[in-house]
Order: sequence, then structure tokens, then C-alpha cells
Amino acid sequence: MNSTPTHLERPTTNNEPFIVFDHIEKAFFGVKVLKGVSFGVGVGRIVGLVGENGAGKSTLMNLLGGNLQPDAGELRVNDQHYAPRHSNDARNAGIAFVHQELNLFPNLSIAENLYLTDFPRIRPAGTSGRADARRSGLPWINRRALRAQSVELLRQVGLDLSPDTLVERLPAGERQLVEIAKALGANARALILDEPTTSLSSPECERLFILATQLRDRGIAIIYISHALGDVLRLCNDLVVLRDGEMVGGGPTQDFTHDRLVSLMVGRQLNQLYPERRSPARPEPNETENVPGRKPALQVERVSQPGIVRDISFSLAAGEVLGLSGLMGAGRSELARILFGLDPCASGEIRLNGENLTGAPRRRIQRGLAFLTEDRRQEGLCLEASIADNMALVTLPSNSRSPVRFLDYTRINSAVKRMREAVKLSPKAADTQAVRTLSGGNQQKVVLGKWLLAKPKVLILDEPTRGIDVGAKSEIYRLIYQLADRGAGVLVISSELEELVGLCDRILVMRHGEISGEFRRDSFDREKILAAALHFLKK
Amino acid sequence: MSAPNSRPLLRLLDFAPGALFAVVLLVFGLMSDKFLTTDNFTQILVQSSSTAVVAVGMTFVLVTAGVDLSVGAIMFCGAGLAGKMALGGQPLSLCLLVMIGVGLLGGAVNALLVTRFKLAAFIATLATLYIGRGMGRWITQTRAMNLPDSFLALGSAKWSGVPLPLWIAGGVILVAQLVLSNTPFGRQLYALGNNPAAANKAGLPTTRLLAEVYLICGACAGLGGILALSQLGSVSPKFGEHYEFDAITAAVLGGTSLFGGRGKVFPGTVLGAVLLKSIFNGLVIVQADPYLYPLITSAIIFLAVVLDSLRRVAEARLNARQIYAAPGQI
Amino acid sequence: MSNLVGSDLFVLFLCGITFAAFAPFTPIFVTPANLANILIGCLPLLLLATGQTLVLITGGIDLSVTAIIGLSSVVGALVMGGDQGWLQGSPIAMPVAMASMLATGALVGLFNGACIAWLRMPAFMVTLTTTMFFSGLSVWLAKKVVNSESIYNLPPAFLAFGTHAWLALLMAVIATLLAHLLLARTLLGRWLYAVGHNPRTSLISGVPVGGVTVGAYVFSGVFAALASILLTAQLETGSPNHGKTLLLDVIGAAVIGGTSLFGGKGKVLWTVYGVLFLSLLGNGLNLLNVSDFLITIVKGAVILVAALLDVWRTKFVRGP
Repeated sequence: MNSTPTHLERPTTNNEPFIVFDHIEKAFFGVKVLKGVSFGVGVGRIVGLVGENGAGKSTLMNLLGGNLQPDAGELRVNDQHYAPRHSNDARNAGIAFVHQELNLFPNLSIAENLYLTDFPRIRPAGTSGRADARRSGLPWINRRALRAQSVELLRQVGLDLSPDTLVERLPAGERQLVEIAKALGANARALILDEPTTSLSSPECERLFILATQLRDRGIAIIYISHALGDVLRLCNDLVVLRDGEMVGGGPTQDFTHDRLVSLMVGRQLNQLYPERRSPARPEPNETENVPGRKPALQVERVSQPGIVRDISFSLAAGEVLGLSGLMGAGRSELARILFGLDPCASGEIRLNGENLTGAPRRRIQRGLAFLTEDRRQEGLCLEASIADNMALVTLPSNSRSPVRFLDYTRINSAVKRMREAVKLSPKAADTQAVRTLSGGNQQKVVLGKWLLAKPKVLILDEPTRGIDVGAKSEIYRLIYQLADRGAGVLVISSELEELVGLCDRILVMRHGEISGEFRRDSFDREKILAAALHFLKK
Repeated sequence: MSAPNSRPLLRLLDFAPGALFAVVLLVFGLMSDKFLTTDNFTQILVQSSSTAVVAVGMTFVLVTAGVDLSVGAIMFCGAGLAGKMALGGQPLSLCLLVMIGVGLLGGAVNALLVTRFKLAAFIATLATLYIGRGMGRWITQTRAMNLPDSFLALGSAKWSGVPLPLWIAGGVILVAQLVLSNTPFGRQLYALGNNPAAANKAGLPTTRLLAEVYLICGACAGLGGILALSQLGSVSPKFGEHYEFDAITAAVLGGTSLFGGRGKVFPGTVLGAVLLKSIFNGLVIVQADPYLYPLITSAIIFLAVVLDSLRRVAEARLNARQIYAAPGQI
Repeated sequence: MSNLVGSDLFVLFLCGITFAAFAPFTPIFVTPANLANILIGCLPLLLLATGQTLVLITGGIDLSVTAIIGLSSVVGALVMGGDQGWLQGSPIAMPVAMASMLATGALVGLFNGACIAWLRMPAFMVTLTTTMFFSGLSVWLAKKVVNSESIYNLPPAFLAFGTHAWLALLMAVIATLLAHLLLARTLLGRWLYAVGHNPRTSLISGVPVGGVTVGAYVFSGVFAALASILLTAQLETGSPNHGKTLLLDVIGAAVIGGTSLFGGKGKVLWTVYGVLFLSLLGNGLNLLNVSDFLITIVKGAVILVAALLDVWRTKFVRGP
């Protein structure tokens, strides 16, 4: 089997494509996220959309849903030009989304959620009772019709529940089915299922597959996005593989195997810029572990929080760059938050330089821990505050003099100035400028600078290069190496496997709240790492 | 996935108002035999009718996670205007219509400030509270007005043995309850209060919905003013004072959340209003120190808001996403 | 135009306009005696608004300040004055009374802050409730102990805050200066801004968000108590009713001065301008014999305008 990309312009069946992506391009801040993707989704077909995080799947779906608009290329639905600007447009075109974050209102009943925007109403006596005249009528809900229609929709998705049940009482699997029922109720002709099985139990998954097949047989076009390759191979008729915004594989499912999918997803090229690896003279961090008396920077022992992470144990050596790989929803960010003290930890121990780490984030920062979060806009920055204010935030206490804690502005300003140069922050931006106005890369540099000023012993980075341009990325890698060379331990959480492979000394893989694999640099195998993220590594 | 273990505890909170009511009946009933009589209870119901009506309007606003602090001032303006008209010889029905009209106008101003100018509800209605009170005092020239007997006649009239105010209040409560639970508009309000962003995404006309609830609240304030006038027969400079507080207390006591998305008119808010008045009635009967009244009311509302806040925190924790299914969970 | 509105000096500009507007209609307005009157009269408002500024910067609001005035006034008077004052006649009456007044303000502020920071109750609701409670408490206390809503016979040393204008001015200036220093030059000040900008980022960056929030409300309470000292001395009675009409002025002054209701933005100096504006406005209207209720309407309108300005500034007048 060769791995040259094939284009799925017209599926190899008689079915007409309901949705067509035609040479779709999209860029953010000059970074191309979609580089000319073309494929079609046929009526009565399930198309599996596969690719790593960051391959472009969510952007593609956002374009379909009207949240974004393409820079080039065309979307067609039912053979007509389709350019949605709001979720209503997608809905009117018959396209329904079932996201991981469900759009249900838990304080309302199933029936009310299903028909929230078009309740069946009581019609004044004498008017005909046609099903499509739903919107007309008195402003009074026809409860009987509501119940009957809801039961019917629920039956179609295989749910045998009272439609008056409040959604807040339903487990995730059933809520998802309700969301699908909602789509059917809106006469959807295409259904997009985005990572539908992450929160489902085994029987719930089976139920979903049966339903998907039934819906397909009824003529609904389905896009099935999932990392569970086994499920994808089982369920879908056609597959599309995305990597780095390009379609690198596509065609009927029988043309693909699990291994071929993994190798397509992962690719072989290095298309990032990594600073020069450490000179051979510098000892590998693994060696320091054998030096008696040298404690690892961070030690995590059997950390568990029911429902979140299970039995996590690892250690991070001083000077080591440790990567944490895995799929979204595997629990990596959650683990980081537990390590930092933002979320509780039911059992287990965390030790920084040999001593137990407990208490609020503030205490842990004082001990030398630092945490660059995944969401820099909501949790890493005060968007309306200045660059200087943001950068100085963590280290303010050490720049203040007791007893009244007067701030030494000279010291703060010079520290900020030095750090600006160190992170190569755009010199055009004034110190007093609000960080909201900066580009993503510069914003991230501000956050990183903030933590670097604290001279941390252990730095945890969650998706440090997400959404920033290549130039800023390589800057950040350089800073990470600099920090590690000075003796700090760095934990990098990333969904870009290439990034971790290029950057780290060692990579841990998480799946479903547990550590599922560990790889040393000399035996980095992209396919094995991805496989560990997808399912447990079978020896 | 969710942890069902804590849900029963949250369910218990729903019974809190009923339980509190039972406690109040018990305590005051034991302390005085004048409390648990039909006459006394009819009086409680009649006295609480105006608060109940205003609280019903407040419930609509609270369900959308808003608030209207100006209801008392709106009542005052309406009453002042109506009083002047009545003393000037205008027919009773016209005066009553004017009161409702003033209510709608006040609601419209609030709606405009909140939806069009995007002011926070509490600051917008705080401002209209003061402006309204000022206007009311201007209309009444800060003097008490004794209204013609036709107003008091409203209050003491009876249909089939039941006082007229109870009929009116009952009608309002019935209509409100039906609207909230049986109309598309009503159900959409709950969705809006629960998650405004999702409501927008789902295609709900959120601006229109928000504007309408403030109009409703204003109209209810006007109606409440009618009921209050029918019992007092006069408009003093303090008319309508504290009604916003009592209305919020009644609603929150009855299970409506300040954070939006939950609340029932019946039994909820109505029970809260009656509960509030019963407590006062009981305090009067046992001849408690009147200077303790504001202390007691504020303690009650404080407790209700604490429970509301704690419930919200607990619910957020329950609905947090799980990574894997721990044993014992769904 | 938007540059003017967005600038710090906008309110000063408003003051100038007010001055110019009133002067021709009431010549008394511009006399030194009247101006001195305005100055001394605005001191309680200044203290209240300064305390409120800190709370607003953290993104909260304290509606209970007038109740704190009443409660601490009664507490102080009960300690040092009346016929049955606890320390009536004693030389330490005044300092102990003043200390207890400040303590009252601090304790109420502590209660407010704790409910908001740790019980996660909405700020406006908590402070509305505590207003009712502590206002009622002060009336009850006064009635219970001295059977009247006014407590007289305060020690002359204390009354000096009322009779000797320079003393009141000194106290207010020192307090305001301290607040300014706190905000502009100390760690706590920067933490207050950070919490107002983004509490989540602040928590992750090591700011003790709960403690800072509580601190802001304690501060507001203490400054309300300071205002109470001035008012009690000026009016020569301890009473639960002092300052009842000031609530709207407090918020109006802070917000129109430029402190944002959304948090993260505010300065003591701006509040000073705002207080000046509102005092000029109030005094001028008074001199014109405008009726009380019209003044209330005007003040309500000022709050509205201030809030609208705040929204406008937040959305449109932004840096490069």
C-alpha cells in the first residue's frame, strides 16, 4: 500500500455526496491550518475523519457549522453553494452536530430540549393538524403531541425513557443519544459525531454503533470523528485521514488497516524547527538518576483522583525535558492541575526536590513549581492589563519589602525589561500596552516570561505552542532548553507528537486517566507512542 | 457520567421551603393560639397578596439570572399617579389602568438598559430605583395622599366569600405558572437562564426574551401596587419601600435561584411570600420586639441565598467532566 | 471626543462645567465660604467612595456602607456618650469608642468579604442583605440601650472632628493618601487589580484571591467607619440614620470618576474628582432650592450616565 494522498472527490458508490469540501483552505495568524482539503460525504454513508489533534479536524467542522469561514475553496451541500455564518444556517441546511460538549440544558426535560425552538402547539379548533404546521398555533405547548413526538424520536435512537425526565439526571451516554434525537427531530440529513465515545461505557458504545448504522441505512450522511481507530474501521464506509491540514489518505475502509492509519496520521517528515539538541558533552538526564544522593526534581507516586486520574507514578529529573502525550480527554491537563494544587488529589504523594508538595498553588509556587496553563487567555493572562503587569504578577511578593510590602518598581521594571529581551518579545509593543492586543505568540511569551522570572525548579507547560506561529514556537523551544540546562525539570504536555519527539528526553503517554506507556529518546517510535495513546501497548 | 451520591442531598434542598413553613406553623402555633385560626390565615393571605404578585414578576426576571431592584419604586410612581388622578375625579378603572401602564413603562426602561445598553441588571435597576423613588416623591409632593374609598372597597370586597385581592393575586399566579410551565416562551426562559451562550447558539431570541421579562416584572409591580393600595387606602412617601427585597426573598425562599435557570411560581414563590408574611404575622401576635423585624427578614433571606449559592457550587462539582468511569458511578 | 471621555481628566472637566453652569445662577456658589462648606461636607463621601473604589477594583460592590455608618455611629456613641454610655466621662472613652467604631466597620466588612469570597454569594445580594440586617441592628441597639434613635452627650474631644474643620480634613486626607499608596505602591494594591482583571489567572499566579477579596471589603468597612466618625461628630449625635442618602453618591462618584464596575480599573485620584463633581452638583442644586426628590432623580440619572459611560469606555475607548 502506498501512502500517496488520494482525493475522495466522488465516493466509489452510487450515492451522491450530500456534503462536499472543495479545496478548503484556512489560516490563523498566518499559520495555515487547512491546506486545500477536498472530499465528499455521501448520502447514506458514514465517513470516518481521522487525524491527530491539530490536524485540522475541528477547524473543518467549524467551517461546516458556520463558526468560521474558509479563506479559499467552497463548501457545497446538496449540490448547492453553502456558506454558513451562524449555527442557524447549518441547522437550516440540515446539518446537525453532536459535539463532546453537548448543547443540552440540564434543567429542562428531554422533550423540552428536543423541541426548544419549535414546540408543538395547541392549534385553535378548526385549523388542520398538519405536522409541518408546527410553528403556528397558540402560544401553548401541546403536551400530548410533545410527549408523543419525543417518544418517537427517542425510539429512533433506541432510548426507552420518559421524555419528561430532566436531562441533568441522565448519564453522558444517554445525553448524547438525546442530542442525536434532537438532530433527527430537526430533520437533519447529515450528522457529525465528534469523538462520541470518549465518555461512553462499552454497552453505550455498542448502542451508538447500532444507531449510527440504522441512521445511515435511512439515508443520513454521517461524519464520524474519532481516535478509536478500531471503532472507525468497524463502523465507517469511507475514511479520510488528515495530517497537518492536508488530506494524506482517503478511500473506502477496506483499503485501510489499523497500522496504515497510524502511519498516515503520524507521517515521517519533521516540519518543525527545533533548536540544536544538547551537545554530547552534557550528560543525559537519565544518567543523573544513577548518581547517589541526587534527587529527582519532581516525584509523583500513585496519585489518584476517582474519575479523573488513576495510579499515576513517574519522576522528573533536574535538567530533563519530559513530554506527556495522549489524546484530548486522556487526563493530562487534569493531572497537571492536580500537581499544581488547583484540583484535589484523593491519594498519592507529590514531592518536589524530595519534600512533600501540598497546599494551594501559592504554596507550591513558593516551593518552586510553575504552571503554564492550556488556556492562556482565560487562565494565563489578565487580558486588559499591561505587559509589565502580567509579567511581574507571580514574582511581585519577592519584589516587595516588608512590612507593608512596598513594591520596588525599579527592580520590577528592570526584571521585566530583561525578561522581555530574553524571550524576544516584539520590541514594538510598549510595556504599558494591554496584552489583549498582542499576537498569540507574543502573548505566550509574556506568560512564559512571567513564570521564568520566578526561576522555577519545575515548570509544567500545557500546550505551550498551540495556536502560535513557527517563529515563536522555536523561540519557546529554545527557552525550554535554556531552563532545563539551568537545572530545572520541565514537563511538557502537548498534542503534537512531532513536537514532543523533537523536544523531549523522554515521553510518557496517558490514556483514560492512566499512564499507558513510557519511551526514552533513543527509542522514540511515533507509531508506538500513538498506539499507546489509542490503546494499551500490547507486549 | 456523574456521581449520583450527592444528588439526593440536593433534592432535599427542594423541600426546604416546605419544611421551613411547617416549622414556622409549629413554632408560632405553639406560642400563641391566635396564630392558627382561619381568620388569621385569611389575613395573612390577603396581606401577602401584593408581595406575592410582585414576587411572581420577579421570578420571571430571576429565572433569566437577572434582577429588578426597582419594583418598589415603580409601584410608588404608579400609586402616586393613580392617587392624583383619583383625587382629581378620574374613574377608578382608569386609575388602575394607569398603574399597570406605569409598571409597563418602568419595565420597558429597565429592559432597554439591560438589553440594549448592556448594563448589569443590578446597577441598571438600582439607578431606576432611585430615579423612580424621586419621581414618585415629586408626583406626591412628598405628602401622604388619602385616596377615595373606592380603593379600599376593592380591598374589602368579596366574591363568594373570598376577598377580591386573593382572586386577583390568584389569577396572576395562575397565569404566571401556566406561562412558565406550559408556553414555549416560559420554557425558553429557563434555557436562557441556565446557559445564555448555548441559548444563543440554539437559536433562541435571547434579546427579545430578556426584554419581555422586565416588562412582565414591571407590570406585576404595577398590579402589586394596586393590591397594596386596596389594603392601605393611602399613598405615603414610604409606599412600596422594601418590596424589591421582599419579592427577592419570597422567590429565593421558594426555590428560585439568583443564578438563573430554576424557579417555580407555584408552590415556590407563592409559598415564599406567604411564609414571609406568616413569620411577620406570627411575630406580631407573639408581640416580639418590632425592631427585630428587619433583623429577622434579612437573616432569612441570607440563609436562602447561602443555600442557593452552596447548591450551585455542589451542582457544578457534580456536573464536572470525568475522564474515566470510577466504580460506583454510572 | 472619545479621547476626552476616556481620559483621566474627564471628570475634572465635568467639574469645570458644573462650576460654570451654576455660577451665574447662584452667586453664593462661588464664595469662599460656600466652597469651604463643600469641601468639609464632601469628606464623608470621599472616605466612603475611596473604600468603595477598592471593592470595585476587585470587581465587587459594597452596598452596605451606609448601614455600617449607622451601626458604628451607634456603637461608638454607646461607648462614649449618652447618659448610660459605657465609658461616659472617662478619658479613654474617645479612643476606645473610635477603636470600636473602626472595629465594627472591619467586622462587617469581614463578614461581607467572607460570604462573597468563600460562600460564593453574589456581592450585590450579600451587601443588600447586610445593609438591612445591620441597619436594623443599629436601630434595635439604640432603642434597646437608650430608648431613642439619637444618642447625645458625646465627649467634646470627639466633637472636635466636627467643630474643627482642619481635623476632619487632616483625617480624610491622611486616609485617602494611605489608600492611594496602598493601591499604587504596595503588593496588595497590585493584587487587587489582578483579582479584578481575572481571578482565575490570579489564583494560578499565586495571588491569594480569597484573602484579597475579603481585604477589600474590610477596607471598605473601615473607611465607612471613618466616615461615620466625621458624620457623628458633625451632627453631634450617634444615630443609625447618618449617611442614609449617601449610597447612590458613593457609587456614582467612584464610577463616574473612572473606576469600572467590571473590575480591574480604578484610581483614588479619579474618585476624588468624582466626589468633587457630585458635591459641586449637590451643593449647586441645593442652593438653587431644587426640591429633594428632584435631587434624587438627578443623582439616579448620574449613576445611570456613569454606568453607561463605563460600558462605553470598556467597549470603545481602548489603548492602541
